[in-house]
Amino acid sequence: MQRLSFQEKMLWAQLLGMAVVVVFYAHSLQHAGPGHHYFHALLLVLLFVFASVRTLVRWRSGNVVEDERDRSIASIGARWSNVILWVGLVLILVLYWDHGSMRSASFLIGIIFHLLVLAGLVRIVRELVAYRMAA
Amino acid sequence: MIRNRIRELRGARSMTQQELADLISVTRQTVNAIEGDKYSPSLEVAFRIAGVFGVPLEQVFRYE
Repeated sequence: MQRLSFQEKMLWAQLLGMAVVVVFYAHSLQHAGPGHHYFHALLLVLLFVFASVRTLVRWRSGNVVEDERDRSIASIGARWSNVILWVGLVLILVLYWDHGSMRSASFLIGIIFHLLVLAGLVRIVRELVAYRMAA
Repeated sequence: MIRNRIRELRGARSMTQQELADLISVTRQTVNAIEGDKYSPSLEVAFRIAGVFGVPLEQVFRYE
């Protein structure tokens, strides 16, 4: 296996960050009683830390070469992520208008949040696969 | 399928993948992917590679 490029290392770091957030969220959902939504605040803090670290690393790595292959792989990831978002949003609209399944605004926000996390994970995994396949 | 002779040309000049990558402004991983015929570079990068070796483009790449 060839050594990882900076972009691949960043993707693995993002995947790890997302996994931590998702595991924490799932764990909190299991153990928090009704009305105890402290984990939502903690989740937001985790996401904030995650986004801050990512921004900082990106900002400090201005001299790292990002070439045409990196951009090509990024566009593949974005395409997959967009498809997931599109399908998810269509499903939400169908649920909303056809079946009236949306119980409340917070339920809707929750679903959209999960959809965004899923789209992010799909983008990262697809890009990692593309890097390994050399795209 | 685009085949290339980059590894051979690089070897003849005792040049590493990293040195070639630096000269054509791409990552070492991209040079490795191009050499392994796993990634087809843009025309611009292809011309830069040929320029580094001082040979015409068709002596570096061929279409099969």
